[in-house]
Amino acid sequence: MNMQRIFALVKIHLKKLIREPANLFLMILFPALLTLVFGLSFAGVESGVPGVSQFEVMAPGLYAYACIFIIMTVAQSFSDDREQGLLERINTTPTSSSEFIGSHLISNTIIGLIQVIIVVILSFALGFQPAGTALGLVFAFIFIVFLAICSVGLGLITATVAKSAGAATGISFIFILPQMFFGTFIPITPTTQVIAYFLPSYYVTDALTSIFNGAPILSPNVLMDLLLIIVISIVIVAIGILLYKKYGNK
Amino acid sequence: MSTKLNNPEDIFDPNTNNAIVVKNLVKKFGDITAVNDLSFEVKEGEIFGLLGPNGAGKTTTIKMLTGLLNPTSGNATVGGYDIRKNLSKIKELIGVCPQQAAIFKFLTGRENIELFGNLHTMDKKELKERTQSLLKAVNFTESSKRKAKGYSGGMLRQINLLISLINNPKIAFLDEPTVGMDPRARRVTWEFIGSLKEQGKTVILTTHYIEEAEALSDNVAIIDYGELIALGSPKELMEKHDSKNLEEVFMKITGRRILEGI
Repeated sequence: MNMQRIFALVKIHLKKLIREPANLFLMILFPALLTLVFGLSFAGVESGVPGVSQFEVMAPGLYAYACIFIIMTVAQSFSDDREQGLLERINTTPTSSSEFIGSHLISNTIIGLIQVIIVVILSFALGFQPAGTALGLVFAFIFIVFLAICSVGLGLITATVAKSAGAATGISFIFILPQMFFGTFIPITPTTQVIAYFLPSYYVTDALTSIFNGAPILSPNVLMDLLLIIVISIVIVAIGILLYKKYGNK
Repeated sequence: MSTKLNNPEDIFDPNTNNAIVVKNLVKKFGDITAVNDLSFEVKEGEIFGLLGPNGAGKTTTIKMLTGLLNPTSGNATVGGYDIRKNLSKIKELIGVCPQQAAIFKFLTGRENIELFGNLHTMDKKELKERTQSLLKAVNFTESSKRKAKGYSGGMLRQINLLISLINNPKIAFLDEPTVGMDPRARRVTWEFIGSLKEQGKTVILTTHYIEEAEALSDNVAIIDYGELIALGSPKELMEKHDSKNLEEVFMKITGRRILEGI
């Protein structure tokens, strides 16, 4: 693994985010707008728990929600680069697949953290007052990092299946929609709970909810969520890398 | 001049000055044979034209030599390294200018070149100087500060070519580098490609501009339906086929195959 190559590629991925308005909107403005909309709509609605608004109940799910769209941008980016012959061109340099995928993991983790920082600031401004400590907030960021990693893996899997950037957008919703509806802030039923057990965002939302409700970061529930999200990340990224190496740039 | 190999062991002979040795190379896609038993040698420091009609197998051959496709059978060496075993070594030696201008459109021309220099782990100072000298050589210094999104087709081609040379490669594979360029830009690029020979580089050039191959190449191979049908210097081929230029040779031998239904 050569760091000069990885950082050169990370820089390019981040420049793409900044210089392409559609990417910038989807990755940065969209989660911010969504937080504003939900904040303004639900900040004054009682949740059933005295002194806690519906928005405060939803906030941990919103943090996870922001990261889910990384799936789409990664899938689009890979498919687009493949269509334009860029993956093939990079393949003629000494850059390895691991370095290339590693650069996507790093850049998208950075993007995921930027998203969450914006959503956190906005949600605090809209009255979200979580219990817990600063260490709890740091722990929450660790969960977000793993969710971003999962999203990159799912994006890779999507790009492998999709034949074009347009198809990648559509196919990415197979992974995005269930996570949005069954693994973030939308209340789940006993039926959707079963589906939720297979979704990375569910464990992140569950852990963030516990942390923000003041549960100790080393509580069994939070640690179990952490263990599961780590295992899921490794499995998804490993599948993504294997598929990408075999079929990804063809 | 390039000759066909007689001895299969020659392919790994370290005492030759061959930059590339291709031996009985075959590539099949299902039932279709894109490259059929292709053999040739390219000497160090020569410009070698790989010519043929559309779909003849030129790009497939280049893709096998640069590690983008695995051969079905046969073998080749690039810079003395086996394409089946030493791809990472080969990738350090080569520069590849693909047929499709593969460029990040949201980056400037200069940023594109520098990115690929970094992928070859070039030293920062060396990268800056090399980028500057390449841009100057094709009069692109000013335009290189603009995003590639606004470039014309010809400008994209020029950056496409410069990217392939940023790492100062020993062996450059240029797959139709001047397609879409206006006559003036093409002329500048021809001179630039010619200057690579003076720098001691080996160049594999595929082109549909036969006059380009005639002017630049020390030797040419003409392939059709994946098979080698002519090999030699432009002068030798013109004499052999009693033609006044290479285009006439090309038309005679590829046209004859069509008429004879080969």
